[in-house]
Amino acid sequence: MYEELLEDIAQQNRLREVNTCTKLTAGVGAILLCLLSASFVAPLFIGLVLTLTLLFLARVDPATYGKVFFGPLLFAGLGVGAIVLLAGGEGTFWSWQPLPWFSLSVTQASINQGIFVFSRVFGGTSALLFIAFTTPMTDLFLVMRRARLPEEVLDLAMIIYRTIFLIMDQLVQVYQAQLMRLGYRSFRESIRSFATLAGSVFIASWEAGEDLTRAMEARCYEGKFAVLGEGRPVCLPSAAAVVSFLAVSAWVVAATSHIRLV
Amino acid sequence: MHIMEGFLPLQWAVFWWVLALPCLAFGVIQLKRILAADREALPLLGVTGGFIFILSSLKLPSVTGSCSHPTGTGLSSVCFGPWVTSVICAIVLLFQSLFLAHGGLSVLGANIISMGVVGPLAGWAIYRSLRGTGVNMYFTVFLACAIADLCTYIVTSLELALAYPAEVGGVTSSFVMFVGIFAITQVPLAIVEGIVLALVFKYIVQLKPEILVRLKVFPEAKIRAAAGDA
Repeated sequence: MYEELLEDIAQQNRLREVNTCTKLTAGVGAILLCLLSASFVAPLFIGLVLTLTLLFLARVDPATYGKVFFGPLLFAGLGVGAIVLLAGGEGTFWSWQPLPWFSLSVTQASINQGIFVFSRVFGGTSALLFIAFTTPMTDLFLVMRRARLPEEVLDLAMIIYRTIFLIMDQLVQVYQAQLMRLGYRSFRESIRSFATLAGSVFIASWEAGEDLTRAMEARCYEGKFAVLGEGRPVCLPSAAAVVSFLAVSAWVVAATSHIRLV
Repeated sequence: MHIMEGFLPLQWAVFWWVLALPCLAFGVIQLKRILAADREALPLLGVTGGFIFILSSLKLPSVTGSCSHPTGTGLSSVCFGPWVTSVICAIVLLFQSLFLAHGGLSVLGANIISMGVVGPLAGWAIYRSLRGTGVNMYFTVFLACAIADLCTYIVTSLELALAYPAEVGGVTSSFVMFVGIFAITQVPLAIVEGIVLALVFKYIVQLKPEILVRLKVFPEAKIRAAAGDA
C-alpha cells in the first residue's frame, strides 16, 4: 500500500552534498545520450555505469534499487514484446496473419529493435533513478527558482510536496486500522474501504490546506514562498567525473551505432 | 498508466513535449487568473495535487487479480476544471517520476498529454454535459472519472502505436495490439476507479458538503439535498 519514497533515500545518500546542477547534468545528459543512441550498447553502458555509481558511490541499498527498477522493466517487457511481434522486417523466424490488416511475426530486425528499446529503457531509468536517489526535491526547487519557472507553479509544487508528507502518516494509520478490522477481506469490502480511505484523505487534505491558508495569512503571505536551500559550489573532481562520463558515453554512442545483437 | 523513461524515441518525446507545453501554458494562465481572484485557492489546489499523488501511489483492488494505480484526475477535473488539472498533473507526474520511478523526464510530455490533458478534458466534457440534466450526481462523477481513466489509457496506447507502427497495418494495427494488451488491466481499473471516486464523492457530500458547494461542482440545492438524504 505505502511505497517507500525515493525522496527518503535521496536525503541520506553519499552524493547528497554534490552540487545539484552537476548531478542534474549527469542524469539529464545520460537520458539524452540514451535517446540519441542508435544501438543497444550505449544505453546499456550508461545504465551500468550509473547503476554502479548509485550502488558503490551513493551507497544505495541494492535490494531497494532492484525493487524500484523492477516495475518499469516489467512494463517495458510487455511493451517490447508487442514491438517484437509487430515491427516486422528482414529475417523472419515466425509469422502469423489472422487478419488481412493484422500480422504478427518475429524477425531478426524486430528482435534487434526490441533489445534496443529495452536497453534504452534500462539506460533511461538508471539515469532517472540517479537523479531521484541522489537529489532531494528541496534542492530541485532551488534550481527551478533559478530557471525562472513561473512563481505560481513553483509555489503550487512546493505545497504539493509538503502536503504529501503531511497526509502520508494519516493515510498509513487509517489503512492499518482498516486492515486490522478485515477491511480488505473481499473485493466488495476492499472497494468500500478504499473509497472511505481516499475520501478521508481528501477531507484531511482540504482541512490541512485551510490550516495552511490561515497560517500563511498570519505570517503576511504576499503570494511568494521563500525557497531556502544551500547553494553548494561546483566541486572540481565531481564536475570532471561528470564531464568524463558524458564524453566517454558520447564516444560509445558514436562508435557503436552499427552494432546489432542478432 | 505511465510510459516509462526511454521507451519513446527522441523525435516522439520531443513531439509530445511540444504539444504539452501550450496546454501547460494555458493552464498556468488559468491558474494565475484563479489566484488573482482568490489567493486562498493556492493551498487548496496544492493539497488537491498532494491528494492526486497519494491516490495514484495507492494500489487499487483489481478484478484481474493484479493491482493497479488510479489516476485521480477525473475528480480533480470535476472540481477545478481540466486546464488547472493539467498543471497539477504535470507537477504530480514530475514527483511520481522522482519519488516513485513511475514515468520519466523525456516522456513527461507524452504522459502529460494522456493523463493531464486528454483524460481530464474527456472527464470534464462528460461532467459538463450531464451536470445540468436530471442524471444522478454520483453516476455523473462515476462516468466522468471512468471515462477520464479510459481516455488516458487509449491515448497512451496511441502514443505507443505512433512511435512503433506495425509493418502490416501500420499505426492502426499497432494501436489495436497495445489497446488489447492494456485492456486486460485498464478496462476493469477504469470501472473500479469510477466506482471508488463516486464513493469518495458521496463520502465528501456526507461529511463536508461545503467543499463542493464552494467549488460549485453541482448546484447547491442538489448537494444539500444529497447530504440530507445521506
